[in-house]
Amino acid sequence: MSLRLPPVIMDNGTGYTKLGFAGNNVPSFVFPTVIATRDSVSTSTSGTALQSKPSISGNIASKRGIEDLDFFIGNDAILNSKTYGLHYPIRHGQIDNWDQMERFWEQSIFKYLRCEPEDHYFLLTEPPLNAPENREQTAEIMFESFNIQGLYIAVQAVLALAASWDSNKTKDFVLTGTVIDSGDGVTHVIPVAEGYVVGSSIKHIPIAGRDITYYVQQLLRDRNETSIPPEDSLKVAERIKEQFSYVCNDIVKEFKKYDQEGDKYFQKYHGIHSVTGQPYEVDVGFERFLGPEIFFNPEIASSDFLTPIPEVVDNVIQSCPIDTRRGLYKNIVLSGGSTMFKDFGKRLQRDIKRVVDARVKKSEELSGGTLKATAIDVNVISHKKQRYAVWYGGSLLGSLPEFYSYCHTKAEYEEHGPSICRHNRVFGSMN
Amino acid sequence: MPFVSNTLRPYLAAVRSTLTAVLCLENFSSQVVERHNKPEVEARSSPEIVLNPLTISRNENEKVLIEPSVNSIRISIKIKQADEIEGILCHKFTRFMMLRAENFIILRRKPINGYDISFLITNFHMEQMYKHKLVDFIIQFMEEVDKEISEMKLSLNARARIVAESYLSQLTQTCELIPGHKRNFSNFNFLNKSKVLSYRNFRISEQG
Amino acid sequence: MILLDYHNVVIEETLKQPIVGLEPAVLDMTVVDFDGVSYRISTPQSKNIIRFSMLMQCFKELIQWGAQEMLQKEYGAYILPQTESGYDFSLEFDLQKLPEDKEERETLVKKVSLIKRNLLAQPFERAFEQQAQYEAEEQTNPTPILMQIHYRDQETIYIQAQYDRVTVIFSTLFKEETDRIFGRVFLQEFVDARRRPAIQKAPQVLYSSKDPPLEIRHLTEPQNENVGYVTFVLFPRHFVEGEVREKTISQIQLFRDYLHYHIKCSKAYMHSRMRARVQAFLKVLNRAKPESPTVEKKTITGKTLVRA
Repeated sequence: MSLRLPPVIMDNGTGYTKLGFAGNNVPSFVFPTVIATRDSVSTSTSGTALQSKPSISGNIASKRGIEDLDFFIGNDAILNSKTYGLHYPIRHGQIDNWDQMERFWEQSIFKYLRCEPEDHYFLLTEPPLNAPENREQTAEIMFESFNIQGLYIAVQAVLALAASWDSNKTKDFVLTGTVIDSGDGVTHVIPVAEGYVVGSSIKHIPIAGRDITYYVQQLLRDRNETSIPPEDSLKVAERIKEQFSYVCNDIVKEFKKYDQEGDKYFQKYHGIHSVTGQPYEVDVGFERFLGPEIFFNPEIASSDFLTPIPEVVDNVIQSCPIDTRRGLYKNIVLSGGSTMFKDFGKRLQRDIKRVVDARVKKSEELSGGTLKATAIDVNVISHKKQRYAVWYGGSLLGSLPEFYSYCHTKAEYEEHGPSICRHNRVFGSMN
Repeated sequence: MPFVSNTLRPYLAAVRSTLTAVLCLENFSSQVVERHNKPEVEARSSPEIVLNPLTISRNENEKVLIEPSVNSIRISIKIKQADEIEGILCHKFTRFMMLRAENFIILRRKPINGYDISFLITNFHMEQMYKHKLVDFIIQFMEEVDKEISEMKLSLNARARIVAESYLSQLTQTCELIPGHKRNFSNFNFLNKSKVLSYRNFRISEQG
Repeated sequence: MILLDYHNVVIEETLKQPIVGLEPAVLDMTVVDFDGVSYRISTPQSKNIIRFSMLMQCFKELIQWGAQEMLQKEYGAYILPQTESGYDFSLEFDLQKLPEDKEERETLVKKVSLIKRNLLAQPFERAFEQQAQYEAEEQTNPTPILMQIHYRDQETIYIQAQYDRVTVIFSTLFKEETDRIFGRVFLQEFVDARRRPAIQKAPQVLYSSKDPPLEIRHLTEPQNENVGYVTFVLFPRHFVEGEVREKTISQIQLFRDYLHYHIKCSKAYMHSRMRARVQAFLKVLNRAKPESPTVEKKTITGKTLVRA
């Protein structure tokens, strides 16, 4: 090509897939990572369906021969869920069913992105601690089925760090930091030191977007908001969470504020009944700040996980190698939709700072005043691209001119085989 | 099995009995280096422990090379490839398998020159696995790989047909000839011969 | 999905919100299409003015074959006289000056998403008109022009009108051995497809590798092992003015993408077959391993530990 086409950035998450081209600010497509296929039994368990010999020819070599093109992905898959079986090819961040994933990619590229993969470089993402075999398989599909020009597989957390480069005042491209990635299902705290994930220190928190929604729903129910049609209650709770929620400084003070100047804080949610089309109103009160509060005071909603998020972050960083800790405190990056609440970053920073300062003070006391520690810098970075931070980080990297030199090219793949993709060079590394 | 033609059966039988006979391996430490224990068929450290290789062939395109030695044997298979398509499919399939050699314990990561796929069985494998089942595996592999490749070829052809048909049927939406439309078939001068032929067919089919 | 869409989904989705829904938003994105076409959708001055620029390798050639008139006719009101630098062609939409009617705005978005198709359609339209002219004037042996569209780096479409037909030739290049062989199987089926009664009346397809067809033999093109030539012979009934013609044009210009899409799908399908087969082989091999005797494990409280 006389002109170079932008690399394709694909971030396939457990819940949603983000697709687009490098250099853009937002992904061109965001849709659920779901594939709808005709034969719901045989494809989902292609491994086990092969136990008896006759079934091999029975379910693969079908009479018409082109059934494998009869499928939908993303939102179209959900629309067709009545006649097709839905499958989720990614489980817990990792690709679970390669057959389905290959077809998912096939349609992502040709139907949605409308590009000829032979003309593009690709940047794909992987969860932390992904097995190198998975990278090999991915490379095999990408290079052999799609003939792509080059491939780079990046760790999602590292991309989330890269996404904050823009908003980072320091303006130097650091790849050390703690990523707090909170989606719908689960929240991860992932420390990254110089582009490498500190695997042993990753922590998962079973509180994420869905739990907040449930909690808001619970609050509304407890308060007898009768105007909400029962079948819509989850959806309404989700809307309320997205539109009105914020993180407060102090719950007690916040309750007082609501009591004193209620009109200023109470709001109304306007909805339309999905069946009858009647409009209705819901009062929105304390749930505005109580929803996101479960990150900081989990005991108000759950009984089995009780560690507040600032403490988890602190524990994670404390378990990392000692020489990385300052860097990790200095650059705490948020990613994912459930970190979008107003003032989430501020509160988190304040709370972590408190824990850290207390510890520093304690150690000074214990040393009897002989040791003076330099204060530890705690920085939580919020930015506008937080929701699709991983994708955006990919887009940033993909638009760098040196991106191409970090990719594995098709020629290299052909020379060495899929095993070259086991390792992907860290950006900014010398070689 | 109806598809087993009459030469396949003796061919497989010969491979089976040869393998059964040849798979009597014993632990054998290297004669050259202390505390080394290598498959001698690969290391070839001394001639007296490597036995004579033998080839069983069904025809010039399908044969098996068995190379026995004191502690290991190497089995290389040349898979039938009738044409270019089967050739590429066979290449793709064996490559796909060899990339997963880790799981296949006895699979060699590279075939011996002139063959499509090689297995290396050592005395350690024999200690872990049943001999008759291993032989079963090789035989079943030989049987099914042919079948798989021809099935793949068939399905490729079937796909191609459907793909071509669906495309072309988009171009035949209204195939009504415009009434009174004059056509002249004498203008062949720029067509080559094969074109003329198919062109005639076209005319015939249109009239009929 | 067997057939590919004609329009660009990203463009449609992106423009729908501001143009149909009249919700201004800050936009700045690069979008691509098949055959190395790239677009930029941006709002450089204010949210209300959307600029849409396009870059296409064969744009100049298409202008030569009448694309300018088409652009004037279809997008005239929105053409930006000062084309954005680095692009071939720009449109600008002022959200305050759009048609009142919502449906009209929807058609506008659709039209923009079809811009590549419309541009590439020009040489075809022209060839069809020319053929009609030859026929009307009874020129049985005309000296037609051969239109060349270098739509990709090493691939070209040739279109030539004759007295009673229009010939469209694609030069196709397969970068890889597997693709070449798969491609040949597919193309052979295109050639043979007309034997089936249902599509007997489809255009005739010819395929030759290495040797270019007579029509373009005089062009000294760089010859390559991997280059093939696919010829479509279109008769007037394939391009009856109106819907048929539009459809034919849309389909035929996507031929290369369609072919390559299906080659890739077949490879994906082969992969899933091989995965299943290798799994089956593994099972056979694992049968050779004696099953490890299952020792019952008990926990300290006396419960049996069962490993899944």
